[in-house]
Amino acid sequence: MKLSELKGKTREETATLLGIDPEAAALEHFLALGLPDKKSEEYRYFRVEKLLERDYKILDYVPKAIQEAEKIVISDGVVTHAPKGLRIYNERCQTMDPVHFDPLYYLSHLLSPHVIKIDLDGDTDIEIEHRFTQSNTLINYRIVLANQANRHATVFESFREEEIEDTLVLYGYDILVAPDSTLRILKNQLMQKNRYAMVASHRIQLAQRANALIKSFDLGGDMGLQLIKADLDRYAHIDAGHLLYLNHEAQRGTVSKIIHKGEHSTSHQEAKNILDGNARGIFDALIKVEHSAKYTKAHQNSKAILLHEKAYMVAKPQLEIYIDELEASHGSTTGQLDEKQLFYLRSRGISYTEARKMLVIAFANTLIDQVKDHRHQDIIKASFEEVFYSGS
Amino acid sequence: MKTLEIKNIHAKIGNKEILKGLDLDLEPGKIHAIMGPNGAGKSTLSKTIVGHYDVEVTEGDILYKGKSILDMEPEERALEGIFLSFQHPVEIPGVNNAYFLRTALNAKRRHEGKEELNAAEFLREMKKHLEMLGMKADMISRSLNEGFSGGEKKRNEILQMLILQPEVIILDEIDSGLDIDALRAVSEGINMMKDGKRSFLVITHYSRILDYIKPDYIHVLKEGRIIKTAGPELVAHLEEHGYDSIVEEA
Ligand SMILES: Nc1ncnc2c1ncn2[C@@H]1O[C@H](COP(=O)(O)OP(=O)(O)OP(=O)(O)O)[C@@H](O)[C@H]1O
Ligand SMILES: [Mg+2]
Repeated sequence: MKLSELKGKTREETATLLGIDPEAAALEHFLALGLPDKKSEEYRYFRVEKLLERDYKILDYVPKAIQEAEKIVISDGVVTHAPKGLRIYNERCQTMDPVHFDPLYYLSHLLSPHVIKIDLDGDTDIEIEHRFTQSNTLINYRIVLANQANRHATVFESFREEEIEDTLVLYGYDILVAPDSTLRILKNQLMQKNRYAMVASHRIQLAQRANALIKSFDLGGDMGLQLIKADLDRYAHIDAGHLLYLNHEAQRGTVSKIIHKGEHSTSHQEAKNILDGNARGIFDALIKVEHSAKYTKAHQNSKAILLHEKAYMVAKPQLEIYIDELEASHGSTTGQLDEKQLFYLRSRGISYTEARKMLVIAFANTLIDQVKDHRHQDIIKASFEEVFYSGS
Repeated sequence: MKTLEIKNIHAKIGNKEILKGLDLDLEPGKIHAIMGPNGAGKSTLSKTIVGHYDVEVTEGDILYKGKSILDMEPEERALEGIFLSFQHPVEIPGVNNAYFLRTALNAKRRHEGKEELNAAEFLREMKKHLEMLGMKADMISRSLNEGFSGGEKKRNEILQMLILQPEVIILDEIDSGLDIDALRAVSEGINMMKDGKRSFLVITHYSRILDYIKPDYIHVLKEGRIIKTAGPELVAHLEEHGYDSIVEEA
């Protein structure tokens, strides 16, 4: 089906087209926001229309027997592998955000009323590998993650695709970060050769004194957008870091809304963007501090390096503030590699290419170094090298 | 044969001609000191030799071991053995100092057809020099020159020289801003490099460093040319009478 056919349709028409219950809660929200196009706030810089106009094959998501493995594997939206003892359910979603800003968040809920729910028990460290094997297909699934109070969990996300083409992946998390807990989510995504495009739409709810670390490493070409909404209760803290290292015709980035609801909540959001070729990087990020969120701290920053004259960065850090008892800052810069630094390295016998690579990695290092696990760090660095040598 | 022959070099930065027909030969095993007023073109000369992007050579030639280097990339000049200790070394956050040095050394070793050093082998080598230069061990793990004090930056330049073992060594105001201990350590590093073959070009404003590293020649650079060359006795004269007392030799 073509998702663009949903444009301007009534409740009944939409329900019929999608083959869903016309009373589904998500439908109301989806209709209110409307199918995104160029004029939609969230998709201003991302050519979503192009993706919605394609004719996709639709999949049936039938749960399978799960095989034991070191990591969770979700293949075309179905869990196929998981570590022993991990509790994974297929159930109706009970945690949908009633006020998400992204229409595709609701569309993906409509298309997948059953979500993959993963319980993060205790202090745990898991890897989720997303696999895509179908061409010209709409792959849609939702994941619910819930950790436990006072616990520290880490989720490392990776992506692997076969020799496919022109698939659209809509997926996302609904995450509940329990009181006094820490949840770290690290995502490494190398995209190339138009095998698939992705819109990932997340919702993160932070309970009192919860900590969330969200680090995304988006590398390579192609189209991919992550939309994140985070709500912070009292004393909650979110630390979000986004690295883009793009080339060719890439259009990728982050659209986010971090909403401070509780007093003393803190947020730190940092984007580092390295853009080569014709790439466009997107960092369209709002931090909103509501009346109820006194004594909040909110800091937001974007830095971009353009390696090619045609590369382009859309950096829009924004603060929306309704109180004055807070500490907040935001800013963005765009520049080139520093010629003096490049020369210094070359004057010591390091080749132009190697010197350039050292500086590009140096720029990214502040984010990569925050990935404490060396194995994960190595995976990210390897992706980095791959993009570097695939050129512009 | 001369190590480096600078022949009638004219060089511009932007639209301004800075070097105006400069001649200078560096002899193997000798220490050449260059002195001259601020803005005379001393740093420009050093940048010209290493192929800095600011500088455009409009006339003349520079020969290294008899071959012109003007068409060579900066990294090729370095690999061939030309080294400049910068007047103002640049800070590079995010590039680890030891990693940088090992990359540079291994580039050189590859160029010379030698085996590369692994991290452990390199660290042993580096630590030896750190100690000799009185540098702190955290210079291994810190970012290249980031937050280094003026003296630490200069010592780090000397460290690079010791590790890379170049053949033409240009030191642009290596002595500026050094305390007495640092000056001694740096001078010691330089003296260790004397082997009867290497040539040194030491740019300085002060006679102090020349007490530690005994120059063979003093050249006065003024308004883009070498206007006088003499033995070390010239230093005392300059200190007393200043640069205005020097009249260009025919
Ligand atoms: N990047 C530049 N842009 C414009 N002018 C420059 C640049 N670099 C050097 N100059 C000019 O070239 C002239 C020579 O500068 P240079 O740095 O070579 O002098 P110097 O002899 O090393 O002086 P000092 O003793 O102060 O270090 C000066 O007039 C300086 O202002
Ligand atoms: Mg100078």
